[in-house]
Amino acid sequence: MSKLKIASYWAAACGGCDVAILDIHEKIIDVANIADIVFWPVATDFKEKDVEGYPDGYIDVTLFHGAIRNSENEHYARLLRRKSKILVAFGSCATMGGVPGLANFKNRDGILARVYLESPSTQNKEQVLPQTRVEVPEGELELPYFYEEVKTLADVVDVDYFMPGCPPAPHQIWAVLQVLASGNLPPKGAVVGASDKALCDECQRVKTEKKVKKFYRPHEIIPDPQKCLLEQGIVCMGPVTRGGCSAQCTGANMPCRGCYGPLDGVVDQGAKYISALASIVDANTSEEAEQIIGQIVDPAGTFYRFGLPGSLLRRARNV
Amino acid sequence: MRRITIDPITRLEGHGKINIFLDEMGAVRNVYFQIPELRGFEKFVEGRPAEEVPQIVSRICGV
Amino acid sequence: MATADFEPRIIGFLCNWCSYAGADLAGVTRLQYPPSVRIIRVMCSSRVDPQFVFKALAEGADGVLVAGCHPGDCHYADGNYKTMRRFQLMKKVLAQLGVEDERVRLEWISAAEGNVFARVIQEFTEKLRQLGPFKPGRKLAAGEEG
Repeated sequence: MSKLKIASYWAAACGGCDVAILDIHEKIIDVANIADIVFWPVATDFKEKDVEGYPDGYIDVTLFHGAIRNSENEHYARLLRRKSKILVAFGSCATMGGVPGLANFKNRDGILARVYLESPSTQNKEQVLPQTRVEVPEGELELPYFYEEVKTLADVVDVDYFMPGCPPAPHQIWAVLQVLASGNLPPKGAVVGASDKALCDECQRVKTEKKVKKFYRPHEIIPDPQKCLLEQGIVCMGPVTRGGCSAQCTGANMPCRGCYGPLDGVVDQGAKYISALASIVDANTSEEAEQIIGQIVDPAGTFYRFGLPGSLLRRARNV
Repeated sequence: MRRITIDPITRLEGHGKINIFLDEMGAVRNVYFQIPELRGFEKFVEGRPAEEVPQIVSRICGV
Repeated sequence: MATADFEPRIIGFLCNWCSYAGADLAGVTRLQYPPSVRIIRVMCSSRVDPQFVFKALAEGADGVLVAGCHPGDCHYADGNYKTMRRFQLMKKVLAQLGVEDERVRLEWISAAEGNVFARVIQEFTEKLRQLGPFKPGRKLAAGEEG
């Protein structure tokens, strides 16, 4: 039986998804027994020219992580879509924009100005900004175009499967690799490597009644390690987040920030959380509600920590 | 002038490409190293609560 | 930037027992108001998920109205208290997303208040005419830059 050909590529990414793949530890040997890697910049020396040279559909599975921030990211998304039988949006960035998606609270000009002109450690007397084309004495050089907004992988190409997580948990990666190798594929468009219940189902904390009279920022309180964090007034996105990650964050006394994305039937995780959180505010008057809700800092940046580009409104406007 | 392009650079974290220009004798005339990536963390952390910033900037590099 | 011929589109989520009946009364008593609102009847204003409001804005609405029974009069006892709390938090998020405060409104309108409904639509339409069309971050076509 011929070996599977797999590829892994990073767009606007951090490398964490690649490290997560390697975190399957010795199982990587099992992977090497059934698959050949044909493109993986962090670990192998294949070049773009190599991928261009492959026939269409040559790659059996591509795990594509990172958000679509610039024209090069989109170029690789299209290239790998052509050359792959199965394309998986791998990790929060590819599935819903991820942390780089927070840039959608700002605009392109503001980002370029801060990075290249204003930041305290930058010396740029000539006020040079990156250009897509520049003439040098020897020829012409190119850089990608930095888009106005961050996009998800599915915004630019047809995606077969979505695997959430920042990063996806290694035990889930191993499970999904086995499924992909088996040939028993889920229906196209499915979310893989995650549970179809909310994180609360996996979280070990004791849950009783949720009525919050005061919200605390995580450093303002030492949380009881046994009780539900939300019940203690700490904003935790567990109720609107897919499980499957083994609840590592809540198990370490940190509230969930939603990296596994929304559950089935929910289009906008942040908007859903508005509903969930407001429902447990214990207030009888408008004034009391306003006072309690006023204790929630940076709601949009928290509720959309990983999913702003994938949300309904996609970005902040008038910024 | 001959040009050799290495794209992408590999086996490290991050994006980069290298263009090497050689003269008629095959000697290196010039080399250009470009970083075709930018996400703008230094801008989009503005407005986020201070206690959330460590979690956010840990995504600059997951290695 | 408002133009004279801009006709704002309002999506209105009206609760069955009070505000929808109020809108109906406005019609029966032949009160005049701009034809800007497209009404969606829900059983209670607390049925309105913030996703509905965001989706309306994302897909062409210039303004969204949520209307329910006056506090204390909810047909389901306390549904509208939930609406009120949800709305407050949703407004904070919308503000951070740069959506003008006047584009999303919560009103308490009873079944007897046909005149209030007509006045609200009149004022809301005028306000939106001044604000101009709402431009969602549309999904960009293949190859387009933002």
